Amino acid sequence: MALHLNLLHEEFTEERQRKRDPLKLGIKALIGIGALLFLYYGWNAYQTIEINSQLGSARAEWQKVEPNVTAAQKRAAELHQIIDSTKVLDGFIDDRYYWAPLLALISHCVAPNIQLTSFDGATVETDHTISVTLEGIAAAREPRAAAEEFRQLLNEQLEKKKYGEVKVNFKNLEDLDTMISLQGVPTASARFILSVTFDPTPGDRAKKTEKTDEPRPTKPGKAPNDGDQT
Amino acid sequence: MTAIKLNKDQIQKIILSALGFIGLIYCYFTFFLGPLNRSRENMTAEIGDMQHKTASSKTELKKTANLEAQAKEATGRYEALKRTTAEGAPIAWFPPKMRTFFAKYGIDKASARLESSGNFKQPEMSNWIKDTWAIELPESDYSALGTALADLENTEPLLAIQRLVIHAVPEQPQSQQVSLFAQTALYKK
Repeated sequence: MALHLNLLHEEFTEERQRKRDPLKLGIKALIGIGALLFLYYGWNAYQTIEINSQLGSARAEWQKVEPNVTAAQKRAAELHQIIDSTKVLDGFIDDRYYWAPLLALISHCVAPNIQLTSFDGATVETDHTISVTLEGIAAAREPRAAAEEFRQLLNEQLEKKKYGEVKVNFKNLEDLDTMISLQGVPTASARFILSVTFDPTPGDRAKKTEKTDEPRPTKPGKAPNDGDQT
Repeated sequence: MTAIKLNKDQIQKIILSALGFIGLIYCYFTFFLGPLNRSRENMTAEIGDMQHKTASSKTELKKTANLEAQAKEATGRYEALKRTTAEGAPIAWFPPKMRTFFAKYGIDKASARLESSGNFKQPEMSNWIKDTWAIELPESDYSALGTALADLENTEPLLAIQRLVIHAVPEQPQSQQVSLFAQTALYKK
């Protein structure tokens, strides 16, 4: 093994110490790390700028849409009110009772020996049934029987109309002392008061709760036949 | 392996470097990256919010368009019902209208007076008013009355007859005295 003599030992040591200077190394490391952090910050900043531009376009889109949305919301509220109001008005129309067909029906039941002197009909607010009071005079050999015949016929005709809970009852039936001339013949007479009640839409309440989409019923409204008089 | 022996000066420099490093990291996160990230998060949240609003508004626009299509019939019907109310105060036009209407059927001297007026219970009917009218027909033929009533009921959808009273006139057997109590739904103008 050859023997080496290091005559520059001190210089070498100094050189090594210079290279190993912690401050120098630390500064270098800091510069390196700083550069990395700067790059990372730059990347983040770039992403932020991109997001900012996305935000700008989102805002622009919203500003474009917003007036339409406000108008649409207003219109939707208006349409809802119209739909709801129409429903209520349709209910008002559907709940009406048509009196003309009843007048026609009564006129069909009135025989020549019956004269009606008064008709008082009303819809009952609470249950939408119809209540009618009829006053009249029946003339026949048996006037009470004639009045009863009229009552039965009216009851039958109302039931035929598919009205529900039909009730036709005498409130009063009394013989009159005066004779009435019927086709030139003096005839005995009786005065009667009939109370008529019925439900014009039987089963309708059940239908309403079911809320079916059936077409609305056609509106009646037939006029009574000519020549019939109360 | 020999341990590196550091002198006092070197230890001080290392400590100084470490402090510098800590300071750098602190400043970086506190004054640079932190605010940047926060603003980015805020912007992302705002974008999400905007996109949600835009998407929901688009759905709302679609819904309104659908509703418009669905409500076409109701709108048309509503407009038609609105048109049944004439311009001006009902007390000014309703009685003449009834007089003319019944005169068409030979029922003269018809008169109408306002019995009561009130609002509907339903809040959606705030634009409508419910009036009750007493219509008097002093001389009417039964047949003509029936025809007129049928026509009235069919042509005036927002008129509901609540009560009908017919009395025979003793002196005129062919005539009846008629009272009608009708309820009308009228649009507030």
